[in-house]
Amino acid sequence: MTQGVLLFCFDTPEVKYHRVLERCVGLIQKNLKLEITVVTNIETFKRMKPMGMINYKLITNETGNKLLGKPWYQTERYMAYELSPYDTTLLLDIDYFCYTDNLLQLMETDQDFLIHDKAYDIVLGKQGLEFERDSMIPILWATVIVFKKTNYCKNIFELVKYIKQYWPYFCELYKLSFKNFRNDYAFSIAINHVNGYRMPNFLPGKLPTLTRTAEVLGFTDNGLIYRYQNTIGQLENQDVHVLNKELVNV
Amino acid sequence: MDIRDLKKQADLSYDVAVAKSNALEKALSRQQFAYCGHLFMANAETICLVKTLKELQQSSFYILDVNQNPVEIKDPQEFLDLLVKRNQETLNTYSNLYSELQKKF
Repeated sequence: MTQGVLLFCFDTPEVKYHRVLERCVGLIQKNLKLEITVVTNIETFKRMKPMGMINYKLITNETGNKLLGKPWYQTERYMAYELSPYDTTLLLDIDYFCYTDNLLQLMETDQDFLIHDKAYDIVLGKQGLEFERDSMIPILWATVIVFKKTNYCKNIFELVKYIKQYWPYFCELYKLSFKNFRNDYAFSIAINHVNGYRMPNFLPGKLPTLTRTAEVLGFTDNGLIYRYQNTIGQLENQDVHVLNKELVNV
Repeated sequence: MDIRDLKKQADLSYDVAVAKSNALEKALSRQQFAYCGHLFMANAETICLVKTLKELQQSSFYILDVNQNPVEIKDPQEFLDLLVKRNQETLNTYSNLYSELQKKF
């Protein structure tokens, strides 16, 4: 049974996401030691520095999707099932930094599909993020997903593709206030459908998140330093999902 | 009390409370672990349940994983050892962080 990490990375005119990818890959190689496959486009690929033994899958990505008024290319996540060469895949956002080997435990389960249903705001020290109530169904966090090559998982990803195709309709149906395509909501809806509107299996714990209000000041060998208002904080040996895209400039 | 001292004290208390909350969350995320293809939390509840069932001299028994799926534990001693090891590793780290936070007052 093969295991590996699948990452999607596309530079936008405003954000050099490949720099985030390079940091993310380095941490995976150091702490998880799993095989890595990166899905990217040729333009982004050419900008990447050599990162060792990495598999690449080059595709032509869609453009046009936006986040907070800026280009945001992340609509190909539904392709993860067909693009993954692994029996068990850890699908990660590139802004999720693995400072521990905690995720390795998730690869050893018999569950077909696992996703976080809870997030944790590191800045405020509490469960839940501000925008997670902006829909009729509970939001799931597509930042960390573990899936196996089963028919159940295939149906989830195919449904995400369908939801993406008819996104305005699903926005209306589920009263989503976030009108641009967002994987978190697409997976929430797909999983809701595939499970017969019942709760599936979730990842234990909460997705540790450094929200956009926090500015990343620097990185250390085993963590990062951030500023929130007048407070300087440091994370050590703790996985973290960083939402503030200005981290590419650190 | 000087209002500036009061504000300083309040800010410090808030920062320490957030840091303590993050340290605890870090410990809890480390308590997740896989056994027999299922996910468990190496917390007090799991340890107490496994120890109790083991002491009732059952060679194997069923418990629920984090998603309420049943799992047969065929080697209770091995499972208990792993639970305790993981639990104490996380709480040891949490204890060290907590001690550092207490020094800030």
